Amino acid sequence: MSLPENLKKFRQKFFGNSVSAFGWTSLILLILLAIAPAKNFFSDWLRYQRGYERLISRRSDAVTLRRHFESGIQQIWLPELGVVDRCTTCHSAMKEATLADVSLQPYRPHPPIPHKLEEFGCVLCHRGQGTATSVEDAHKSTLAWEEPILPAKYLESSCGQCHQRDLQGTPQLNLGRKMLRAYGCVHCHTIKQPDGSVITATDDPPSLTHIADKTSREWVFAWLKDPQAYSTTATMPNFKLSDDDARDISAFLISSSTPASLKLVQSSLDTAKKIKDDATLQTKASSLYGESFCASCHAVQNAAGNLVGGNIGPELTKVGSKVRPEWLQAWVRNPHDYDPATGMPHYRFNDEQVGELTGFLLAKSDADLLANLHLDAATPEQIAHGKRLVNDYGCASCHEINGVKRPENFAPELTKIGSKPVNQLAFAPGVDHNLYSYIGAKIKQPRAFGASLKMPQYTFTPSQVDALTSALLSHNERALTIPAAKTVPALPPSHYEPAGKAGQLIADLNCFSCHAINGRGGDMAPDLTWEGSSVQRDWLLQFFRDPNTLRPALIRRMPKFNLTDAEIATLTDYILTVYQSPKVDRDSMPLTGYPPGQVELGKQLYYSKYGCQSCHIIDTKQDKGYIGPTLTHVGSRLTAAWVYNWMKDPAALRPGTQEPKRNMSDDDARALTAFLMSQRGNEKQEAKR
Amino acid sequence: MSTTFNRYFGELRKTRIWRSVFRGGTGQSTLRNSMAIQQNVFLHLLPTKVRTRMIDFNATWYLGTLTLGTFGILVITGILLMLYYHPSAPQAYADTKDLQFVVSSGQFLRNLHRWSAHAMVFLVFAHMFRVFYRGAYRPPREFNWVIGVILLLVTLLLSYTGYLLPWDQLAFWAITVGSNIASAVPIMGDKVRFLMLGGHFVNANALLRFYVLHCMILPLAALFFIAIHFWRIRKDGGLYTRHSEPDAVMTTAPAERPL
Amino acid sequence: MTNEKTPDSKASPKSFVAAVASDARKSPVRVAFVTRRTSAQVQAYDEPKLQSFPEVLFRVAIAIEVLAIILVLISLFFNAPLEGLADASHTPNPAKAPWYFLGLQELLHYFPPVVAGVLVPTLVVLALIVIPYFNINVEADGLFTKDRDKRLRIFWAVSVTFCVFLLVFDVIVALVPTLITVALMAYAATATPKSSSKFRRSLAAKPLSFWIMSWFLFELAVLTTVGTLFRGPGWSWVLPWRS
Repeated sequence: MSLPENLKKFRQKFFGNSVSAFGWTSLILLILLAIAPAKNFFSDWLRYQRGYERLISRRSDAVTLRRHFESGIQQIWLPELGVVDRCTTCHSAMKEATLADVSLQPYRPHPPIPHKLEEFGCVLCHRGQGTATSVEDAHKSTLAWEEPILPAKYLESSCGQCHQRDLQGTPQLNLGRKMLRAYGCVHCHTIKQPDGSVITATDDPPSLTHIADKTSREWVFAWLKDPQAYSTTATMPNFKLSDDDARDISAFLISSSTPASLKLVQSSLDTAKKIKDDATLQTKASSLYGESFCASCHAVQNAAGNLVGGNIGPELTKVGSKVRPEWLQAWVRNPHDYDPATGMPHYRFNDEQVGELTGFLLAKSDADLLANLHLDAATPEQIAHGKRLVNDYGCASCHEINGVKRPENFAPELTKIGSKPVNQLAFAPGVDHNLYSYIGAKIKQPRAFGASLKMPQYTFTPSQVDALTSALLSHNERALTIPAAKTVPALPPSHYEPAGKAGQLIADLNCFSCHAINGRGGDMAPDLTWEGSSVQRDWLLQFFRDPNTLRPALIRRMPKFNLTDAEIATLTDYILTVYQSPKVDRDSMPLTGYPPGQVELGKQLYYSKYGCQSCHIIDTKQDKGYIGPTLTHVGSRLTAAWVYNWMKDPAALRPGTQEPKRNMSDDDARALTAFLMSQRGNEKQEAKR
Repeated sequence: MSTTFNRYFGELRKTRIWRSVFRGGTGQSTLRNSMAIQQNVFLHLLPTKVRTRMIDFNATWYLGTLTLGTFGILVITGILLMLYYHPSAPQAYADTKDLQFVVSSGQFLRNLHRWSAHAMVFLVFAHMFRVFYRGAYRPPREFNWVIGVILLLVTLLLSYTGYLLPWDQLAFWAITVGSNIASAVPIMGDKVRFLMLGGHFVNANALLRFYVLHCMILPLAALFFIAIHFWRIRKDGGLYTRHSEPDAVMTTAPAERPL
Repeated sequence: MTNEKTPDSKASPKSFVAAVASDARKSPVRVAFVTRRTSAQVQAYDEPKLQSFPEVLFRVAIAIEVLAIILVLISLFFNAPLEGLADASHTPNPAKAPWYFLGLQELLHYFPPVVAGVLVPTLVVLALIVIPYFNINVEADGLFTKDRDKRLRIFWAVSVTFCVFLLVFDVIVALVPTLITVALMAYAATATPKSSSKFRRSLAAKPLSFWIMSWFLFELAVLTTVGTLFRGPGWSWVLPWRS
């Protein structure tokens, strides 16, 4: 009861007449108005600057640190990049190397990077809102800024905005970029690089124009339903087709197939059938498979369930359940007959060898794959429906199919995906509302965003998803608008085509599947652009006849193509004449005849000063270096001029090589060359050859 | 306390300087109080005396007064905001951001301006309905009601033009939606829209145009009509009460007016 | 000081000679010359009055200050909205006008732009302007107190026609307030100024203008609320508490 009484008294005292009421309300208003400026005092950045001053005051180099420290709002302003970064207002110690032990943010110094803070600012790499001066606005996604700080695991994507070439320090980005090409993402999605060129795919989806010659409708059905059931490494994604849809698509594909002109040799086929059913004969055939180094490109699952072999060609674990014997023997004989554009080399097998390999491969089958699978003969309605589905799912974006045109821009263009506004994205439930989570979730499980979406399901590991996300994040507005002077453009695609007879041979053997020459070709085997300067003629002739590996640790080796002497001579002459480095004159130094003193000096340098034995092997009994090539025969393999120049600057001859530059003196280089050139291998082995 | 205040204030008013500024004279007399109103160029828009029962909160809810209050706040904060603002795209947006991040109390200024603007629109509507339900638009106040309707439109235009100035998505699309309605005017719709935006769609021209309207033309128009509005209150017999009406009206009026 | 004269003092020099602290007349009266041609129908009623200065001005100042206090408090705790940089190529869904135009935008969803965007606002403004010139409310009579049967007939005809019109255009949002207003009017029609309950008596006394204005206010409030809070992407229904 007393409270209202008190209130009344209170009211009477302070608001009893208009003058005092006016006085008091004015006072309250003035106090409230004073709160606004007072709030500044408690702003994030002032708090952090006070914290930084406290932090450095306790340190031994406080005086220096305090001299470096500037209070007030700091700003990096780069008009040509559109950068206004006030991050250094709170992150005061960015350049204080002596604070390296501080882990408390925002005071941690920046780890060393090849760029200067003043030239690039912060948000160019880290994203976030550079102009903001509060923690929330600078780092989080807000209504007015939907580009939050990029998590560390995607940071490499920012390097990719300017660096269109692979960098050593960005393995994840390099992988992601490679995957964009290798998993055929760019078949459906157009991605333009800042220079305007379109990213091209490196995978080679098979043409389906003659599919009926190669395999059965049942296999096509099973493959469509679940490609990974046939081969865990299959690049083909799972389209999550219903049984009916898979039935109709397989019906259409088989019915649209036209016959290819395949050469059928009955004797090969007979041999193959014999070997297929005989385990002992298979063991014999397996040595041909091994000698031909099929495993350099093709993998096969061993008994322990591990994949052994390369990933350039398709996995062969269950190939016997897939292909028709007639097709396989033709393919082994000369793959260009079936698919002129294939990356598979044309081995010069004789009919007997063809039969052996065919039989060996046909035995690699899985009875469960097509068991209990029976498809009735296709009706015209099913075929028509299959064709509609093939169009709907954009199958022709990757595969050549008779009667179906390759669709243009089948899927959304991703040139600016890395800066797509979040408010334009339709998020699946449970996905965080930011761009990188969206991209990651979309790659991981596209159909979670809607069952009617067409994007198929890939089988990626989490790190692969992150790599792809990074690569996609690097394709953004900023990458397209950054001044050209600040960027490192992509290497222009090479359309190098060797000429003449040798050129035909190189195409027939598909050397580019593994080797790169003049910027074209794969990266599995050494770049051959300067091969003419580096190797000796005799060695090269011998190598073509019987390729032996140079690097003992490698499983993938150069296959033996069974070339004729004339073919070998053509190739060797071409390589030695055309693939010459302007930096190395192969005839400027003698191959032999170095004074023993120089050789001895070279040996000392090799083992003590430069410690080459840690990567290379010369003494097969003692040396354990498995990183670089074996050097036991280096004197009969390489030219002296190449070895000498290699000693001086390896990267100049082969950019990106692991061989370190040792800055050795001219005398040291010559002595080492003399020593290496003296390594001509075991006399007995020489005799044997 | 108030007596002390009054004494000192009384002394202050007697000084020569004060009397050179305010012509009202000194003392507490009724005459002096009348003169304080009459002799002031601004205050003379108001009546010298007000019926005692009309200053009760329930009589008017002070809605007109409060609307004037929001207008005052908007003018003050608006002038301060103009110091930091360039009416050019996209600098306008960067300026808005800088108000938030760098200018001392900039965010507070913008908040106060924004919320006061919403409050003003709301209060103008409330004022209008309140006046209607009290019947305060009746003769001789018809024309003041019309002035009120004009002021309502001016207020809406002020708020609408100001809405574009931050140059963010919210502003841009609100104005785009609004200006699309203008193009529905028969025959000359597109012309009206072009005149409004200075172009065929919302762009930097529209921003400049809206800025000039918002900071110059419309506030002056508002001041002009507010002056007339207040002056007419005084001239039309002060704040409306039933008893200030002609007899004819009163005879049939119900005994009690709950609203 | 005492010799000083205000300019007004010419009118009645005697009364105003002592300008300082003169209480010569307790209550100065205003003298107005009302000629026949003056339209003002000012009629003086003697009732207690207050000097505007200082009492009323203080109250005005206090009222404004209290409002300022409230607005300052709001501004200290709630930030004005700001979204991303204006971008003509990225249309947000939904794109909304300022809240006070959302009633119109809601109508725009149902009617062609000429009707909802031009006709309706023009009619509203015109109606507001002409209110005091049509003496519709001057007599302040209950709507159904005179000519009851005839007015009831007109009322039902107009109401039903209008509701059907709204139904045809599928404007459920506007129909609901209309129906409620019509129901209240129908209820008012059953009441007389002599009804027992106070509520019924007051309803019976409401003139036509009251009903129209109330209906307008009701519609304005409902349409604006719906447009502001309950409309989402593609102008579909959403619940504000479920984002």
